[in-house]
Amino acid sequence: MKEIKLVFTGSMGAGKTTAISAISEIPVINTDVRTIGEDAQYKKTTTAAMDYGELTLDDGNKLRLYGTPGQERFQYMWPIIIKGALGLIILVDDANSHPLKDLALFINYFRDHINKIPTVVGITRRDLEQGPNIQEYHDYLHKEGLKLPIFSIDARQRDNIILMIQALTAMVEFN
Amino acid sequence: MFSQQVITQLSNGLKQLLENCDPVDAALIATVDGHMVTMEQRGNYLLERLATMGCSIMSLGDTITSELKMGICNNIISENELGIIIFMHINDDVVLVSLTTQKNALGMLLTHSKKCAQDLKTLVN
Repeated sequence: MKEIKLVFTGSMGAGKTTAISAISEIPVINTDVRTIGEDAQYKKTTTAAMDYGELTLDDGNKLRLYGTPGQERFQYMWPIIIKGALGLIILVDDANSHPLKDLALFINYFRDHINKIPTVVGITRRDLEQGPNIQEYHDYLHKEGLKLPIFSIDARQRDNIILMIQALTAMVEFN
Repeated sequence: MFSQQVITQLSNGLKQLLENCDPVDAALIATVDGHMVTMEQRGNYLLERLATMGCSIMSLGDTITSELKMGICNNIISENELGIIIFMHINDDVVLVSLTTQKNALGMLLTHSKKCAQDLKTLVN
């Protein structure tokens, strides 16, 4: 049995905590705090340090699922959480005002890791049809010289997250 | 979140903490989601980042305490090679962070910071 550390990152409201909660087989350890400042108009709570959940796959491998805080002011947590990760999931809120900019922020920050460990991109809240089409996300990644799988997901749907995780863990196995 | 009047009163509370307790080098109040409310210091520390980090530490403390069913996390003490930092809730919304570079001043720092947090609680509730 292997233990695989996966990290969920992405901007505030992209669905990191929701996705981990949707698939974790243990009660998720989270550090949610009430939003007080300007973020309060978007979300009632936000992750201040990290999320943690676990999932055992059918093959017996255990996934340790970590979530980063989304806001840039918590950026100091990102290198702490990514340490030792074997896979990275970048979630992008498609209904946010600038989803491609959000993606760019995390691509740029984690570029060194993306070059070394398998990474997938999950686009959430596609149902609101407010953001770019999937091709524009592919075009952006292509422009950055990256070929990352992109999944259109509902972070609340376990099946959606599992599918993305299975793709990522397959990449980890072959990395 | 707070009126300018309340922020001024909170700032005065921190000034009083520094006046009453010589070893305190800096103190700040931050919201639980990591925004600086106000700060006072004798030195030249970059406290903006400490405000956000303080909220992360406090949220981890709250999570650990809750996990172990130990009630409410009153404070977190970081004893370091060159000083001490204390993190504590003023109420559910704001956190007090105070620090000293004097390694033997833990008792004073803790006592005065607790008193300060209690005094400030009436302002923020």
